[in-house]
Amino acid sequence: MFGLIGHLTSLEHAQSVAERLGYPEYAEQGLDFWCSAPPALIEEFTVKSITGQTIQGKYIESCFLPEMLATKRFKAAIRKILNAMALAQKENIEITALGGFSSIIFEEFNLKDNKQIRNVELEFERFTTGNTHTAYIISRQVEQIAAKLGIDLSKATVAVVGATGDIGSAVCRWLERKTPTADLLLVARNQERLKELQKELGRGKIMPLETAIPEADIIVWVASMPKGVEINVETLKKPCVMIDGGYPKNLDTKVQHPEVIVLKGGIVEHSLDIDWQIMEIVNMDVPARQMFACFAEAILLEFEQYHTNFSWGRNQITVEKMETIGEFSLKHGFKPLI
Amino acid sequence: MTELTTVKELDYQSQEYKDAYSRINGIVIEGENEAYQNYISLGEKLSEHQEELNRLAKMESRHAKGFMSCGKNLGVTPDMGYAQEFFSRLHNNFQTALKEDKIATCFVIQGLIIEAFAIAAYHLYIPVADPFARKITENVVQDEYTHLNFGEAWLKANFDSVKSEIEEANRQNLPIVWQMLNEVEADAAVLAMEKDALVEDFMISYGEALGNIGFTTREIMRMSSHGLKTV
Repeated sequence: MFGLIGHLTSLEHAQSVAERLGYPEYAEQGLDFWCSAPPALIEEFTVKSITGQTIQGKYIESCFLPEMLATKRFKAAIRKILNAMALAQKENIEITALGGFSSIIFEEFNLKDNKQIRNVELEFERFTTGNTHTAYIISRQVEQIAAKLGIDLSKATVAVVGATGDIGSAVCRWLERKTPTADLLLVARNQERLKELQKELGRGKIMPLETAIPEADIIVWVASMPKGVEINVETLKKPCVMIDGGYPKNLDTKVQHPEVIVLKGGIVEHSLDIDWQIMEIVNMDVPARQMFACFAEAILLEFEQYHTNFSWGRNQITVEKMETIGEFSLKHGFKPLI
Repeated sequence: MTELTTVKELDYQSQEYKDAYSRINGIVIEGENEAYQNYISLGEKLSEHQEELNRLAKMESRHAKGFMSCGKNLGVTPDMGYAQEFFSRLHNNFQTALKEDKIATCFVIQGLIIEAFAIAAYHLYIPVADPFARKITENVVQDEYTHLNFGEAWLKANFDSVKSEIEEANRQNLPIVWQMLNEVEADAAVLAMEKDALVEDFMISYGEALGNIGFTTREIMRMSSHGLKTV
């Protein structure tokens, strides 16, 4: 049994989903209500791999909303994630992916010290951030979109925004080791971590956002910001590709130009049979055929009976682990969204 | 996101704390007293379970004494008049149901609602309690986990015949709990217990109990929404 912990993208989205699912009483409620709402097991479903193997899954809605971070209701945000994890464990789920902001909150607030949730002692080996698969998929998206558009990586500049994060650093490792990328620009807020990353990679230029993105042919955006950031389209190279691997995925609403291609990062297409409705609710463009790569990681680990926190802790993702999850990914019918 | 959620330093001897504590402590003691009386009454109705229910009642009575000592330790006199008023509507609904032999309604009020309310409050209280009260509350929570299931087990065993009565009892009593949660908000905040956390914890315990009894997620979500309706 695998699990997915997800959440909706905004209060407005939550209200419309409540209405659609037939809970008009909840649709009228504001942020206060969501701050005190318990997690809920929304859906149980089966997943069939292209290998023919079938597994069972459960989807848990944590009731977290990004507005909780924007309005600094951090305690509520933390409760949502921990309570959803406790529910997953009570449901005896062997491996659960922390989707969207869940893993970010877990890391940022250092929730590993909060093991005891009421009468449940969290067993972290039952959870995965899904970041290894996400990083693998984003890295493959860079390679495949470059090939598709005729961008020669050996002559190209790739900027990674959020380079020191868990996913960002993994993408940098992959690009350094597995691709001929000419120039790698490292963008992040923490200078110390940037220097450490640069030292580890043995290459890469540390640059501020404003100077890095006009130089890049491909921009990998993996910084997650609840409020987002303004981007001046005029300063971007034309053509250029932006891979939106952050959360929520809203770069396409900020950057609109015929020569700037925005690709949803960390999303997989698949040809598996899954009898669920939840992907429609989380606003996938093609709900039956797409999902978040982090969710897919839990599915892959369940298929392979790899019941361990495959992705856990900050900056532990190696190229070897990405290759491993990449093999599972191909084997069971996933491919990067291009 | 790095600015964290530090717990504010509490002065257990401040006038403000002791004033709020007099009401909260009263509520907790009264809650345990209600539980004692309710289990005794249920035992009289269900003779085959009387022994067990009496044992439960005694445990609740022990808890009440424990919480009395918490107030005493801080030099606080519990405001029992306020507390009895606080529980009066649930108390009256329980007594009415008892008279009408609506055992399922009694178990919803005592076995599910009051228990879930207590568990939620104790959980949130433990990390912010003074050391004396913390130890006592921790022991109470351990006890509560062992017996939360009695009402649940009875309702589960009789689920098919009492399902609609449970729904009606929920409809009638959940809005009262909401009102109680609102009423206690300001005093609980002085003790560093937040209302939204209290509501969430309550809904988790209550929803779990409903799930164990036999309700589906959809039914639980619909039943929970009755709490939002004004009384």
